[in-house]
Amino acid sequence: MDAPLLISVVDDDESVRESLPDLLREFGFAVQAFSSGQDFLWSGFIEQTRCLILDIAMPGMSGPDLQKELTLRGYDIPIIFITAHGDPAERPRLMSQGAVECLMKPFSEAALLKALSAALPVS
Amino acid sequence: MDNELDRVDADSLIDSIPAMVAFMAPDGTLERVNRQILDYLGAPLDELKDWAATDAVHPEDLPSVIAVWTHSVETGEPYEIEHRIRRADGVYHWFHVRGLPIRDVEGRILRWCVLQVDIDERRRDKTTIAQALADVSASEDRLRDIINAVPGFVWSAGTDGGVIFINQRWCDYTGVSLNDARGIGWTTSLHPDDAGGLATYWYALLASGESGEYEARIRRFDGVYRWFMIRAVPQHDESGQVVGWYGENTDIEDRKRAEMLLAGEKHLLGMMAGGSALSLTLEALCELVEATFDGALCSVVLVELKRPYPALEAVPRMQPGAAPNLPADLMPGADGRPVDAMCCPLAAAALSNEQVISTDLAEETRWAGWVCSALSHGLRANWSTPITSINDSVTGILSILYREPNEPSATQQNLIAQFTHLASIAIDRARNEAALKQSQAFMNKAQRLSSTGTFSWRVETDEITWSEEIYRILDLDPSVTPTFELIYTRIHPDDTLLLEEMFRRQRETAGDFEHEHRLLLPDGTVKHVHLVAHAITDKDGGLEYIAALQDVTQRRLSEEALGKVRSELTHLARVASLGALTASIAHEVNQPLAGIITNASTCLRMLGADPPNVAGALETARRTIRDGNRASDVINRLRALFSKKSITIENVDINAAAREVIAMLLGELQRNGVMLHPDFAEHLPQIRGDRVQLQQVILNLILNAIETMNKITSRSRHMRIVTGLDESQCVYLEVKDNGTGFDPQDAERLFNAFYTTKSSGMGIGLSVSRSIIEKHQGRLWATVNDTGPGAIFRFAIPPLAEIDAVTGNAQEGR
Repeated sequence: MDAPLLISVVDDDESVRESLPDLLREFGFAVQAFSSGQDFLWSGFIEQTRCLILDIAMPGMSGPDLQKELTLRGYDIPIIFITAHGDPAERPRLMSQGAVECLMKPFSEAALLKALSAALPVS
Repeated sequence: MDNELDRVDADSLIDSIPAMVAFMAPDGTLERVNRQILDYLGAPLDELKDWAATDAVHPEDLPSVIAVWTHSVETGEPYEIEHRIRRADGVYHWFHVRGLPIRDVEGRILRWCVLQVDIDERRRDKTTIAQALADVSASEDRLRDIINAVPGFVWSAGTDGGVIFINQRWCDYTGVSLNDARGIGWTTSLHPDDAGGLATYWYALLASGESGEYEARIRRFDGVYRWFMIRAVPQHDESGQVVGWYGENTDIEDRKRAEMLLAGEKHLLGMMAGGSALSLTLEALCELVEATFDGALCSVVLVELKRPYPALEAVPRMQPGAAPNLPADLMPGADGRPVDAMCCPLAAAALSNEQVISTDLAEETRWAGWVCSALSHGLRANWSTPITSINDSVTGILSILYREPNEPSATQQNLIAQFTHLASIAIDRARNEAALKQSQAFMNKAQRLSSTGTFSWRVETDEITWSEEIYRILDLDPSVTPTFELIYTRIHPDDTLLLEEMFRRQRETAGDFEHEHRLLLPDGTVKHVHLVAHAITDKDGGLEYIAALQDVTQRRLSEEALGKVRSELTHLARVASLGALTASIAHEVNQPLAGIITNASTCLRMLGADPPNVAGALETARRTIRDGNRASDVINRLRALFSKKSITIENVDINAAAREVIAMLLGELQRNGVMLHPDFAEHLPQIRGDRVQLQQVILNLILNAIETMNKITSRSRHMRIVTGLDESQCVYLEVKDNGTGFDPQDAERLFNAFYTTKSSGMGIGLSVSRSIIEKHQGRLWATVNDTGPGAIFRFAIPPLAEIDAVTGNAQEGR
């Protein structure tokens, strides 16, 4: 049996870091959660990460900032943005910058699964 | 008988001879005379026979007459002599007297016939001529002396105008010989400017045959021209025909110069009075100096005392004045730099306020550069004289340059003093006029800018004088004469009575007054004006008002608008805050909702697994409840903030109040990437007040800080929220950002209801915030961050301060 694919979650909101990894593990993924973009960059999990679920608005480095930084460093990790700011106007912009999906909090299990399948076509 | 007849005939014959005839006996005695002799001498024949013993013959002539007559009687030779004979009235006339002997056939003398002819007239003419001849001969010598002694030139000319003779003095003066001067040769010595005019005049004079005079310049042998008055007089013969001309030239150079100087001064004063430009007046002055001082080059530079900051000493600066004929490189001052005494003699004179004379520039050791230029233009002497104003400060320099070494004479010094005096009048006048014009212009500008006009009203005569701005305010043509009737045509009908009443009162009792009224202009515009008048009484007791009229329309309109805005302000502030917070509220609610849904999904999956993960499901269910409560808290806080209808006074813990606001704004802070650093002092006393209003202030300050940091991209965004107790024991809260900050000059304007640096309408919050804090007996103010970029907003409220009665009542009414 293959080792489970690693999904990294970066969100400064603790309740997201608690709840989302549990659900993802229920889906059968391995999960690492980080409270900031810096933590993720220093974690050593970048190479293994197959998909990144990334909060947009965070103090310090924002989600899009981290996305740019990863591109600069030559990583091409599929990214699913999540945001509590229910502003649909921002979605097309984020999508055009290479995100796989942009989920508005709160999002349903089905929406999350759909986004994950887009990010990881093999499974 | 016949003899008798013959005798009668002979008598009438000798009586008819138009001369005096006498007959003498051969011994010489008188026998007979004709009627002419009797008439002339006025005596009978018997008396005449003794002529030798009487004075009938002039006593001076008698001896020679007797001698010659005796001789003829003795010898028989004809008798001939001229002598004087007394007429009956005692006057002697000259007579030519001839006596011839009448002989018989034997040659014996029968008698003498003596003829006496009156030659008195002829004789007298001859004497006159002889006298005249002697006189002429003497006067010719004298004339020569006179001609050469005359202090001018004497000449004669023919009828054609050509000069025949001209005296030595003329030749000496012009250096032209008499031969060269003859004909029209002398005209070569005339000044070219005068030759034409003189020729025209001279030929007109020749044609008219009348005497005349003409002023012209004649060149001296050394090339110097002097003015002469040339007079010409025609010479006529007996028939009145002109046969020639005599003339005389007088040196009138001194008179001419005095006249020219006078005319020049008159012209200059005329220019000054007529308001000619200073440069033109000074140019005319230079030309007058050059005309007065032969061969001189004159220029004027202006000197102005400027007190440059921060130097205390006034420094003279030179500016170009006038230099009509001067080479440009010798004219200092074009650069307007401070004067340096080493640069040129003009500067030296300006600094010392003393005349600087260089009689020979070739031997001058000072001002090397300037002297070098002057020498290269062939100039050898310079006299620089300061022009001083009434208060003895230097306003200019009059410089005179010569092509030869030269020293001013006493006369020239006098003239220079006169010229510098004229120049000082011109400069002072021009400067005063310029200063006056400028201050008038400043005043007009100031009146325009402040929309304030001034006017005076002389009560006795109702004479009114307006400034330009009044005409503009009243929308009247500046050419009309102001009257009260004219003023009333512009007063708003509703205000006319009141204004009339006021003017009536002020007319009777002198006193300062102030009035505000409206104007109604012909185009329907309504203006608000504010009138302030000050009463003065002149020395005759006449009352006059000096007044200012300000157009306060804009201010009035602003005040009205402000009043309207204020009434809606609180409401607007709330609506604005609510709008801006919508996103933040959504974030606050969405965050726990996301947790709830995710946890619920996980919970279902854990329970649906085989075997069910009950422990995990319980944990996720608990998290669901926790997030649910969190969402509920957010909603409660929002309701507290926005649904309150009245003011509540309670004890407020500023830290707790701030924490609640921060909790609500966390999403907003995150969304904007702001790092928050709370720094709350512990054990702070509580304050009395409306918790929600104070929270609105805190909310406002934080939102503002977020917004100013929005523009920052070059550094991370930090916000410090500090609470504490200040030196006057007031509880304070401070919001400090590292955003763009503000200009310290605007520290107060920030609180102006209309002031905003933002494109959206949030700026309104600061004025409302201040009014809330002031209601709590506190202060709200802004300072610039002293440790880096950004701003600090701080409010301080006395602990448990008494809230004013109005809000206290509101509490009771709740």
